[in-house]
Amino acid sequence: MDEFLNYFQADLFIPELNATTKEELLTEMVNYLAAHRNLKDTQLILEMLKHREDLGSTGIGYGIAIPHGRTLSVSELLVVFGKTTRGVDFDAIDGQPVHLIFMIVAPPQEQSNVYLPFLGKLVGLLKTPGVREQLQEATTFQEFISIFSGEF
Amino acid sequence: MSVGREKQLRYLVVLQDIDNMIQESTTEQKLGFATNLERLQKMREEVAKEIPPPLLRIYEMLRKKYKRAIVPVKNETCLGCWVKLPTSVSPRGKENVSIFRCENCGRILYWVD
Repeated sequence: MDEFLNYFQADLFIPELNATTKEELLTEMVNYLAAHRNLKDTQLILEMLKHREDLGSTGIGYGIAIPHGRTLSVSELLVVFGKTTRGVDFDAIDGQPVHLIFMIVAPPQEQSNVYLPFLGKLVGLLKTPGVREQLQEATTFQEFISIFSGEF
Repeated sequence: MSVGREKQLRYLVVLQDIDNMIQESTTEQKLGFATNLERLQKMREEVAKEIPPPLLRIYEMLRKKYKRAIVPVKNETCLGCWVKLPTSVSPRGKENVSIFRCENCGRILYWVD
């Protein structure tokens, strides 16, 4: 299995997010990460993500948002991913609400540079015809990951 | 040396983060993310003003060679080149008056707890 898939972990998958706003969404995902990983200062992660959004929304269109950035709070690349059926206004570039959200946090220092290549691979995969639609239908981590696996 | 080296180093770390964001924003834009480069450049100018020119010059010289010109020290090891530092390189009591550089790679060092 490709190393890429190993960054998706079952306990960091949120099948249905409760948030109704962009800020709530970021907070919910950061809190979820804090509850599942022993991290230094999760408030810093939230602040970093908000600052990144201030520079331009990470809602890349087609119902997808990939909030991301580097922070001292983590020592390895972590991915929290989830879905919201109702959708959340994320100031996405196409103005559409987002349904699939991938939150990526990476340390400022990386021995092996994985952050940008991971981001690139994820975006590429999400642009593959049919993948987004299948992900929208997935309800479990296994379904989710098998859709990604099928693309390799 | 002036008082407040520790503060200057913090500004340098922030400057480096901004520089890396500027660098990464090119890749991000290619991937379809919106990034406000002008705003980042403005932030950079403001932070750079807080750093004494000689220190800024060292940083910019190192940036031509390394992606990370200022790096943390952990377990007495430079996290830029991963070489263990000699015991003489210790910030204890001197962190506010001196700038330390790795003897192996030359990167500017800062200590984190």
